[in-house]
Amino acid sequence: MASPDGSPTHRPPGLYRLARLFRRLSVVVLVVLLLYLATVGYSAFELARSTPHSGGYSAEFEPNDTVAVTGSLSVTNPGFYSISGFSLALRIQNASGVLLGVLREGPETLAAQATTTFPIALYLPIVPNGAASSLLETDQVLTVGVWANATYAYLFPVSIHFDQNKSWGAPFANFQAEAGTPTDVNGSVVVPLTISFSNDASFADAGNLTVVLRSSTSAPCGQVSFPLNVPSQTLYDQTQNVVLASGCSIAGGSAVTTFSGDGGTIVLPPEAIP
Amino acid sequence: MSAPAAPPSAPGPSSVPSLGYRILAGGTRLVPLLVVLVMLPVAALTYLQSRSVNLPVSILTVEVGGVAISVLSTLSYILRPTRAFGPLSVATSSVTIVYLLVLLAQSTYQIAVPNSSATISVGYSLLLDLVLIVPLLTLAAGLVTTVEDLRVPGERLPFDYPP
Repeated sequence: MASPDGSPTHRPPGLYRLARLFRRLSVVVLVVLLLYLATVGYSAFELARSTPHSGGYSAEFEPNDTVAVTGSLSVTNPGFYSISGFSLALRIQNASGVLLGVLREGPETLAAQATTTFPIALYLPIVPNGAASSLLETDQVLTVGVWANATYAYLFPVSIHFDQNKSWGAPFANFQAEAGTPTDVNGSVVVPLTISFSNDASFADAGNLTVVLRSSTSAPCGQVSFPLNVPSQTLYDQTQNVVLASGCSIAGGSAVTTFSGDGGTIVLPPEAIP
Repeated sequence: MSAPAAPPSAPGPSSVPSLGYRILAGGTRLVPLLVVLVMLPVAALTYLQSRSVNLPVSILTVEVGGVAISVLSTLSYILRPTRAFGPLSVATSSVTIVYLLVLLAQSTYQIAVPNSSATISVGYSLLLDLVLIVPLLTLAAGLVTTVEDLRVPGERLPFDYPP
């Protein structure tokens, strides 16, 4: 065989062709990897520029002695690659470091060039003497720990952790049930009971507040009901007379308050009566 | 009457550049290698260091690894017409593999974001596993070339440097 100019041509020997094949393959792999890295870098940059959007958060009383914090979290992935195995965990602690509630979402796959919305629903149990019962009467700063894990662009496992402080306004902040001096009214013992608190929560206290006055031996001496419709960020201060049962003394006893609203029933921490 | 065709493995004529030309070309080729393998990574690491972000790998490791790979690659380019080309290719690939394995051992990068409680952890061991394919292929090529040069010295010159 001859080349167009008439000089003889040689077929490269086998070893030479094998070495050339390896070199060409290495160049192909390198170019593919560089192109992949360039697109990953661009996608990651675009992803970093798109801030996750959280919205529509609200808190309200729910049945089964819970406060529910609900809302949504939208994550936009504008890049070329999906985010697989995306999982989210939130842990809420009070100022003393006591765990109040945990939320877990996922794992989900966030498609490329799409927005994925996660519904958020966190239920904080408000049982008497429970960890979250202080949320009823004490304004405080809660620590929200956020953990997110995912695999980006098939090859890069990523995990992010951060803590955020959130102010919590209590729906019955600085709650007080003060019993006045008992008086004799037409043969019955009557005691004035003053309820005061500040609704520092983001939602209204709407329902009924029932207060049972108990003796030092926890025997019920009398009860009264306060209809409530206290808007957010409003003070409440009302007094009503309670007729005590015959022979029942509340000295050294307690006032046990129960809130009944649309969502359910919540028992507030008892107040001591001097 | 035309000349008989040469046997397939017979070395033909070649036009091997002079040593001076190869040194000049190799030196020119060394510059972008140093930029990509040393200067840009060191600049990026120095930038992170100036922002109080901990580094995924030490600057010294990048400097030593990048310079070693660049110099060996340049040497093998200059000595390509000689029998040292194969062993130098093997050495370049081996150093690259060792360098990537050092990076692989530290392939989970944890960043504490300054002035924030946030920490970010990124793993890139799978990427490095894929990148390792490149020096493994060039290592194989170097070994084959070494064997070829031992068996038939100069056999590849007409194909590496066609007339």
